[in-house]
Amino acid sequence: MATAVQAARPAGAAARPRREREEEVLVWPDLLFPEFIAAVVFTMTFLVLSTAANAPLLEMANSNLTPNPSKAPWYFLNLQELLLHMNPALAGVIVPTVAILLLMAVPYFDGDHEGQGVWFGTPNAVKIMAFSAIYSTVATVALILYDSLKFDQVWQMITGHHMPAWAQGLAGIQHGIQWPSWSLNIPYLPFNLHLMDSDFRTLDFPYFLSQILIPIGTMAILPLVLIWICRRWDPTRRGAMVAFFTGFMASWVVLTVIGTAFRGEGLQLLPVWDVWNIMA
Amino acid sequence: MAVSEQPTRQTWQDLLYEKLFHNYIWQSIFRSGYPNTPRNQMLVVATNVFLHLHPTRIHRTHVKITHTYCLGGLTFFMFLGLTVTGAMLMFYYVPSVNRAYTDIQTLQTSVQFGQLMRNMHRWMAHAMVLLVFMHMMRVFYTGAYKPPREFNWVVGVVLLVLTLLLSFTGYLLPWDQLAYWAITVGTNMVGSAPIFGPKVRFMLIGGFSVDQAGLIRFYTLHVIGLPLLAAVFMAVHFWRIRRDGGLARPL
Ligand code: HEM
Repeated sequence: MATAVQAARPAGAAARPRREREEEVLVWPDLLFPEFIAAVVFTMTFLVLSTAANAPLLEMANSNLTPNPSKAPWYFLNLQELLLHMNPALAGVIVPTVAILLLMAVPYFDGDHEGQGVWFGTPNAVKIMAFSAIYSTVATVALILYDSLKFDQVWQMITGHHMPAWAQGLAGIQHGIQWPSWSLNIPYLPFNLHLMDSDFRTLDFPYFLSQILIPIGTMAILPLVLIWICRRWDPTRRGAMVAFFTGFMASWVVLTVIGTAFRGEGLQLLPVWDVWNIMA
Repeated sequence: MAVSEQPTRQTWQDLLYEKLFHNYIWQSIFRSGYPNTPRNQMLVVATNVFLHLHPTRIHRTHVKITHTYCLGGLTFFMFLGLTVTGAMLMFYYVPSVNRAYTDIQTLQTSVQFGQLMRNMHRWMAHAMVLLVFMHMMRVFYTGAYKPPREFNWVVGVVLLVLTLLLSFTGYLLPWDQLAYWAITVGTNMVGSAPIFGPKVRFMLIGGFSVDQAGLIRFYTLHVIGLPLLAAVFMAVHFWRIRRDGGLARPL
């Protein structure tokens, strides 16, 4: 279908080098036709899907009847999953805000023309992507299992004992250790700073450590380790970006899937066999 | 000029073509003849308001389906489909806590094709969220955010956020248990932010819990505020693609 453009160009009106022109095709029909086909195929698909499956409509809203579990829409369940493991302000607002800002900053970190305009155009890009996806999936799953006491359960089955409190999960670090009482109430401002609805005066150190410091540290160090490992395959900024972006997307998907399918009543983690029962 | 525009002998097809596409009324609408010659094909793209988002010519690697998988275009197509089906839902829906739920029920049971329209709107909304993420991944892995396209990537991230917000505000409107508690959980997350959180939450839902004030806010944002914003950013997005010299190519 590719129609040569040359026929339409008046002789001698070469605005750009001829070789570039020869690589071009006409938008009508070469672009508009596939676009039209795509639109028709998608319209048909959604018509068929919409006759086959109805949009959900439950009972009328009732503020006195909290369903168990209560879940946000699926694309926010990644954040709801994070919420189970750290300070709510960190999980619900700060992490997503930082993630969006980092996403926006990607082109400003990686501004040369390496690998531009072709799929996986830099050396080892596919390898870095695959490694980063596996690394991030394993790390995210492991962290969630750790903080849901799953390692402790396995340990108990094998040895008959609990793991030490600090190894059981973040809650173990906060509550399972004999913290001195002064550490629960460390004044860090000489006056009471009351900003709108937030207080800034004393610090609950075990809470701060387990719900803020360790999560932030984990979220900062794991990507840095990832980028450091991937340097061997591509030391450029594009290599680092491929590792980072892939890792971000993979953890995001893992969090979404676990938040959607693996969280049942009371947002307890469901074993895989229960997930199959629910979906069946 | 192209030879094909000067037929040597008039057949009856040529005559029909002449009558259909070279008459006064056709040309008052379209300015060019039927796009069957390269010249008319370029004219029709350049002079038609709906087609002129496109350039008249394009590099041959970019029409390969495996380069873009049409993902940005399909995201835009979802937006258009959602606008059409959404406008139809608006004919039957009143954003009041007393009526919203029964309006949706009535729409499903007593309106011709009402259920179909609601289903289409729902599934296309989910698809748009998925597609916009896939589009972002395609742009990333083809390295298409690099200069001079940095800012268009930023515009894209804004569009991603707007898409999520559009979907989130729409989620409340059926006013069923799913809607009510999803928005309660979601806005509680916002409320947990330090300093501004509770105030922002209060502003978002117009009170301390999701109720009539929240419903009308979400409705207004969903049907006019966010779609307008998204349309503006899409206009910028498409304009920038053209200004940045079309889709990215290796140097
Ligand atoms: C509502 C959401 C969006 C719509 C409707 C949209 C639409 C489009 C369209 C139609 C194209 C043309 C090429 C293609 O189809 O791939 C495109 C290109 C592009 N989009 Fe988007 N987009 C959206 C969101 C995004 C997001 C989330 C990003 C990135 C974060 C993004 C970044 C870009 C960039 C950088 C290009 C230029 C690609 C190139 O030069 O190859 N867009 N967009």
